[in-house]
Amino acid sequence: MFQRVSYALRETFASFKRNMTLSLAAILTSAVSLLLVGTTFLIQRAFDNLLVQWRGDVGMIVFVRPDAEDEQIKFIEESLRSQPNVINVEKLVYLDQSASFDEAKRVFANDPTTLSLLTVETVPSQFKVVPITTDTVLVRNLADQYQQLPGVQAVSLAEDEFEVISTLSQFVRVVTIAMSLVLLAVAVVLIWNTIRTAMFARRREIEVMKLVGATNWFIRVPFMLEGLVQGLLGAVVSCVGLWGLNEAWTSGVAGFKPGTGVSSLVVPGSYVNGVMIALVVVGALAGAIGSGVAASKFLDV
Amino acid sequence: MIRLENVTKAYSNETTALRDVSFDIPKGEFVFLVGPSGSGKSTLLRLMNRQERPERGAVWVAGANINELAESRIPYLRRTMGNVFQDYKLLSNKTVFENVAFALEVIGKPRHVINQQVPQVLDLVGLAGKEDRFPNQLSGGEQQRVSIARAFVNRPVILLADEPTGNLDPATGEGIMSLLDSINRFGTTVVMATHDHRVVNAMRRRVIQLDRGVVVRDQERGVYE
Repeated sequence: MFQRVSYALRETFASFKRNMTLSLAAILTSAVSLLLVGTTFLIQRAFDNLLVQWRGDVGMIVFVRPDAEDEQIKFIEESLRSQPNVINVEKLVYLDQSASFDEAKRVFANDPTTLSLLTVETVPSQFKVVPITTDTVLVRNLADQYQQLPGVQAVSLAEDEFEVISTLSQFVRVVTIAMSLVLLAVAVVLIWNTIRTAMFARRREIEVMKLVGATNWFIRVPFMLEGLVQGLLGAVVSCVGLWGLNEAWTSGVAGFKPGTGVSSLVVPGSYVNGVMIALVVVGALAGAIGSGVAASKFLDV
Repeated sequence: MIRLENVTKAYSNETTALRDVSFDIPKGEFVFLVGPSGSGKSTLLRLMNRQERPERGAVWVAGANINELAESRIPYLRRTMGNVFQDYKLLSNKTVFENVAFALEVIGKPRHVINQQVPQVLDLVGLAGKEDRFPNQLSGGEQQRVSIARAFVNRPVILLADEPTGNLDPATGEGIMSLLDSINRFGTTVVMATHDHRVVNAMRRRVIQLDRGVVVRDQERGVYE
């Protein structure tokens, strides 16, 4: 067993050295493509933070003053429920203060200044309203109406808040995912090519190995290891890049005035770590599987 | 040990390499396959170690129809055979010892077995003391001895040799032949393709003669003609 492991490692290293330039190209391409994949995830997450209040087709939010009386809240709810032509009564949700505070913690995750001003007692509770009509004028009229009700602090409309962001987010998602898929394909092709070159360089050895009865797995494993190392190194480089990008972004965003909403575009560190682990796994798997398939293909003599 | 039944092998360019070839090689025999270039000698050897498959007919080795063998069993079939070639097929970046050890290493033999068997077989082929040389520091005859050592180190029951003396001068070729002869005396079945008249005539062993893919003569204790 030890014999086989040391054989595989020795061969992997020797082959890696022999094909230095091609290996570097494969590593860099997988690094760039994985970096793009990772960036896509971070951008999505940042936009999600911004849009968290508007999940589930919510089109209007009625913020209720923290000091509103129970009767006032009840009155707001009843008058909302009496508008089945404009709003989807089934989907009407009331977030009390503690639920609203939880949500605020997410929205203002990286805006501690704003967050520190909020407590469960001072945060407004809210009604999430899903419009049933597509007529925006009707919804806007309703919003104006509620603005006047006692106990209402403010009424926000999805249209004003995030339609631009939502469109932008979709566009960015499509572009970055397409680009990273293309680059990932290029990376796999390059790893494939490296393995083919490595196998060509060792064709005599492989011929002898086959003739003396080495199993295909025995021949294949060093090449798969080589591909795995390439994918892994690419992933590590992309993680370093991703970490750097996120650091730069975080410190850049911190410069904005608190409460402008831009600060919620910051992605929490735990999420970045999760993405980095995923990149390492994807890189290693793509490298190992790609080279394993290549090795199998060229083993058929 | 080896039996061919009505074997026909055609290559894609419409030339028929072998046509309806049948013969039986018992255990421990020494057989020459003779005939001009392109008569199908090498193809026969390649069918026996399952580097190729026939279009029709069956190839039996040690009681198994090797064309019906699962792909994953082929390495184990090949571990029972040694192969020797005209061009030696040595690995130039490995020493004599490493070249022979390689054959044991890649089938997973432990180091202590390798360290015991490789010197033994190098001694047998007359290369004791040259373990650390590289192939390009050896004569042709010595290189062929390394390749025979590599083929024999795992004590195969069959040795397939394709023109092993083809690149060697007569005297050196004789040495190689006496080595193959002694390997045969250990009980290993030897099948050797050659068009070297002298070695065939000197050995007086079974001769199977091919001409354009057809067996034209199968003779005990034959000569080349």
